[in-house]
Amino acid sequence: MNRLDDTLSCGDALDLLEPYVDGELAPAEAASLRSHVEGCPACARELALAERIQRELRSLPQLDCPPEIVERVRRQGAEVVPFRPRLTTRLPLRLAAAAALLALALGGGAFFVRHQQQEAKAAEVARATREARFALAYLGKVSRRTSLDVRDEVIVRRVALPVTRSISRSIGLSLGSSDPEKP
Amino acid sequence: MLTAFDDTAHAYRRRIYSFARYLLSNREEAEDVTQEVLLRLWRHQDGVEEERLGSWLLRVTRNACYDLLRRRRADATQPGMAASLGEEEAHELVSGEPGPQSLAETADFRRRLLAALGELGEPYKSIVILREVEGLSHREVGDALGIPEVTVRVQLHRARKKLRERLREAEP
Repeated sequence: MNRLDDTLSCGDALDLLEPYVDGELAPAEAASLRSHVEGCPACARELALAERIQRELRSLPQLDCPPEIVERVRRQGAEVVPFRPRLTTRLPLRLAAAAALLALALGGGAFFVRHQQQEAKAAEVARATREARFALAYLGKVSRRTSLDVRDEVIVRRVALPVTRSISRSIGLSLGSSDPEKP
Repeated sequence: MLTAFDDTAHAYRRRIYSFARYLLSNREEAEDVTQEVLLRLWRHQDGVEEERLGSWLLRVTRNACYDLLRRRRADATQPGMAASLGEEEAHELVSGEPGPQSLAETADFRRRLLAALGELGEPYKSIVILREVEGLSHREVGDALGIPEVTVRVQLHRARKKLRERLREAEP
């Protein structure tokens, strides 16, 4: 049967009630349904019931729980495992990774120095290490205070690579190819 | 100062509780479920992406409710879902904004509507609660239940049709 004419059957009309209530029918289908309902008291009652069900469901109260539940969960949770907020949890791991990079660079530099029997530039290495420590501590502090995430690449780009480059320059080693952003 | 957990928990606790309350029709059990879900949030927040947190919480809530309902069914001494709607519960749930009908008639209609809702199977009941009562979009409902948006629309129509049939049968 063509649903767009005025001879909609009751079965077809009932199938269209819910989409009609949701406003999802095409204008021609909606007009056809309205036309049928005007002349069919049984379908008109069904439409009125469908509309009332939706209206009543939407007016049901949204319920709230006692706010103490949050405090209870915090106490209970803290006994099991301390809450680790999403934005700061990964930071220690990242700091550890950056520290590992630094250690690798420093260790590699020291190894190079020993084997090339170059003059040890301990003061420069120590200075670079201090700067790296300050930079990492500062990043950690800022991240904790602001709850902002510090991405891996920021630590690598801003701390690890500059420090390793600085150390390498001081001992005459080129690290140009180790920059992940360079081919 | 609020912690990150407090912020998240306070932002979502009402939605978790309200969904559980309508699924279970029981205040104490809904509080237990809310507490359980928030405890899971405490333990597992690291593993949940920020933008999926809302749908993850609703999915955990639904699973917790259905675990509880399975235990309830296993315990023959517990009343069924519809029957557990006591006088106090019913009064709180049916005393929302009155429609154009008289207060008594509206309250009676809502009581029958809630009973019919309690008898709906899944996923119909969750879809009706999340879409019509909680006001989530079709896409949000789909995300929470892990089904496509178009399925949400179709099943919502079926669910309301079932409610209509049950209410017609139960008409005084």
